[in-house]
Amino acid sequence: MSHDHEQHHQHDHDGHHHPRRKSESELRADALEALLADKGLVSTDAIDAVVSYYENDVGPQNGARVIARAWVDADYKARLLANGTAAIGELGYLGEQGQTMVVVENTTALHNVIVCTLCSCYPWPVLGLPPTWYKSPPYRARVVAEPRAVLREFGLELAAETQIRVWDSTAEVRYLVLPERPAGTQGWPEEELAKLVTRDSMIGTGRALDPVDASA
Amino acid sequence: MTAIETQLADVDRALAGRAPLPRANGELVFEEPWQGRVLGMTVVALERAHIPWSEFASHLARAVERHGYDPDEPAAAAYYAAWLEAFEATLVGAGLDLR
Repeated sequence: MSHDHEQHHQHDHDGHHHPRRKSESELRADALEALLADKGLVSTDAIDAVVSYYENDVGPQNGARVIARAWVDADYKARLLANGTAAIGELGYLGEQGQTMVVVENTTALHNVIVCTLCSCYPWPVLGLPPTWYKSPPYRARVVAEPRAVLREFGLELAAETQIRVWDSTAEVRYLVLPERPAGTQGWPEEELAKLVTRDSMIGTGRALDPVDASA
Repeated sequence: MTAIETQLADVDRALAGRAPLPRANGELVFEEPWQGRVLGMTVVALERAHIPWSEFASHLARAVERHGYDPDEPAAAAYYAAWLEAFEATLVGAGLDLR
């Protein structure tokens, strides 16, 4: 990196403490990769494959695309709610064998939230890795006993008249929440809408982003 | 699940609670490319050397603690600096000569 050369000067003048440490780690990482490649333990191609998978293929962006499609395409939404597994499969996000995906829709009258009270079953193919709190015993127990209080702790204040339904995932059935489409997004293209769909909004512990917040 | 998915699940399970991977909105956070490469390198090397993730996770939890917390330091940079230490310690522990 070009700024490596200037780091000693930066250090003396403006109190930047960290560029040097980052750079040390980077150099150390490069040296280690070269050494391990030399020993035949790693290859650049194998590392590239893993990195590209992490960067592109896992994570809630798959779920966000499903939600955005449902927001713009009423027929797709009907199929998604009727048979989640098949409709998600249409977009190419296939689950593990034998696993059924059920999509539940949030409305002003009904708010859905998912949990796995027994372990940590989670809709992997569409949401990627579960967050740590999803697997924590307090979330698993409390979201069932006192969902409104738990959602409030996530910063989600629901109207008193909104009903809350908690869906308990199993090894066979995984749930995905279809959040409400944010106001002020008429005419938005699918890929812009997908950016408003957060992981938490598909678990039910949050809402989709407001367009104003998203652009801020 | 594909092989890489299974690996990622293993990594996640081994590190959860003790030294969870830095994430935002469920996605892994890499502030700089070297951090992603270090993760990829570890996945490949541990598998080929048949070193269990639990072994690495113990080293990592200790390294994260040793590294300490500095509010000025980017979170992923701190985490992956500790990761490098732990990775080297794991390899040395498995009998690899890193000199």
